[in-house]
Amino acid sequence: MTEIVQVRELSKSFQITKRRPGFVGSLTNLVAPQRQTVHAVERINFTLNEGDLVGYLGPNGAGKSTTIKMLTGLLVPTSGEILVDGFIPWKDRSRYVARIGAVFGQRTTLWWDLPVIESFELLQPMYRVPAGPFRRSLDEFVAMLDMESFLNTPVRALSLGQRMRADLCAALLHEPRLVFLDEPTIGLDVVAKERIRQFIQHINRERGVTILLTTHDLQDVERLCERVMILDHGRVLYDGTLSLLNERFESDWFLVVTFGETYEKVDLPGLLSPQREDHRAIYRFDHRKFASAELIQQLLPRFRINDIEVRRPALEETIRHIYEERLLLPAD
Amino acid sequence: MQSALWNARMYLRLLSVQIRSQMVYRFSFWMDLFSTAGNAVAFFAVALVIQRFGGIGGWSLGEIAFLYGMIEASFGVMDMIFSGFDPDDFAPNIRQGSFDQMLLRPVGITWQVLGSKFLLRRFGRIIEGLAVFAYALTLIDVHWSAAKILYLPVVFISQIIVMGALFIAGSTITFWTVQRIEAVNILTYGGTDLMTYPMQIYPAWMQRFFTFIIPFIFLNFYPALYFLDKPDPLGFPVFAPFLAPLVAAVFFWVALLFWRFGINHYQSAGS
Repeated sequence: MTEIVQVRELSKSFQITKRRPGFVGSLTNLVAPQRQTVHAVERINFTLNEGDLVGYLGPNGAGKSTTIKMLTGLLVPTSGEILVDGFIPWKDRSRYVARIGAVFGQRTTLWWDLPVIESFELLQPMYRVPAGPFRRSLDEFVAMLDMESFLNTPVRALSLGQRMRADLCAALLHEPRLVFLDEPTIGLDVVAKERIRQFIQHINRERGVTILLTTHDLQDVERLCERVMILDHGRVLYDGTLSLLNERFESDWFLVVTFGETYEKVDLPGLLSPQREDHRAIYRFDHRKFASAELIQQLLPRFRINDIEVRRPALEETIRHIYEERLLLPAD
Repeated sequence: MQSALWNARMYLRLLSVQIRSQMVYRFSFWMDLFSTAGNAVAFFAVALVIQRFGGIGGWSLGEIAFLYGMIEASFGVMDMIFSGFDPDDFAPNIRQGSFDQMLLRPVGITWQVLGSKFLLRRFGRIIEGLAVFAYALTLIDVHWSAAKILYLPVVFISQIIVMGALFIAGSTITFWTVQRIEAVNILTYGGTDLMTYPMQIYPAWMQRFFTFIIPFIFLNFYPALYFLDKPDPLGFPVFAPFLAPLVAAVFFWVALLFWRFGINHYQSAGS
């Protein structure tokens, strides 16, 4: 596997001016501004291999956007190194950005008053894509993202979902090997989200495009990413597979049992008394100590049972758990 | 290394996008055009006053119209070509992240900013300036020589470049301030107004400021003295009318250096 992105001891700090309250305060600010250093990103290290699809997670202000902006060459790091495909992003900007793609869900790269198709056609000479391959990619993406119906609509008249599809397409038409997706599903409905997830999966699997995905929607991550990086206060807390993360940090699972008749006592050895409502009982158990199958085998001979369901906590829950309990700390 | 020629080609493509999108709003285009061209009426109001007093500071109505028409037309052209660098429009680009989007495209950033806006409705001001200039030529008898005819476009272009440089510098400041700075607008818009009248009517300190700090005096006033064969009331060296292109070159060079410096220190806004 070839490493396409190498990030070493990357840090970025900003100087911000702190405002004093009140009239006297604002006068003092004029004369002697109070400066404060904010460490947005602190000494992070990671590599991306060709073909990776990695989820980059963290609460607001964790440093996700700052990292992406450094990786796309918009910001110069305070210290540390980034090497992408042999390029240092903030040097030789225009040659570098021709090789990557980026979608910022909150903003559009397209020309507001132009029909979608004309925006795309403007990108062809801009990225110096030969006409043949360009046409092929365009046709493929238009079909996959179901864009035929709005190709001639000006960008300003698109719905959010349509605009996001057009932006994704625009970011990929020059066939970049590496793509940064910052909140590509933000504000979309379930159907639109799913379409975009399918597309992301497709370009990763079929075209082998390396993708770094930041999102607040953890369903995106569960659906798409094998590997996740978790960021908090500018430090990387976790970098590894999603399954290992779940295994280590997932909170208790639930076993929801619907009985065929009313029973007085339904306790299982080693578990707390279940929460009960009518014919149902909800057992809470630590999936690291008990296998659900084993619990079910204990229940089946003792009771008449209509239905059994195993509920796992959502990834959201797991991550909240990590932040709240401070289960992970930066490496040093 | 992207060649300048290729960048210029991309600039023209972006420009055609700009012009086509403005064609969408045809009605508002014509309205703007007429209302700015209508500014010529404002000059003719001033003209009535000047006529009544027989001139200002030894300058006849026709000579003042020459000054006025020239600078208005060149400002109009500048305002059209450098629309993207108008600090009033550039500052929101920084705030809303469209500048980031430009940085993500593989085209020289200066070309992209220039290509990001091209306000056709500035034609209104150009037409106004040219109308007043034509009016001036009907009032005064300029003794045209080959040298004067060749130098006229040089002055015109120098004026465009100097004011464009001020736009670039004003936009660069917004990298740090995010808001546009009123002082820069005072220089560009105020400076243009100031140059519509002969410099000797202003107090000595203003003349010094616009000679040694911001040398606007060499852009319009001195070239006009040359074109109109008027004696120099301020006693400058004889080459003073020919400094316009030099001023333009220095202004533009410094503005571009500052712009480069700004980009290298740019901190993209928000998240």
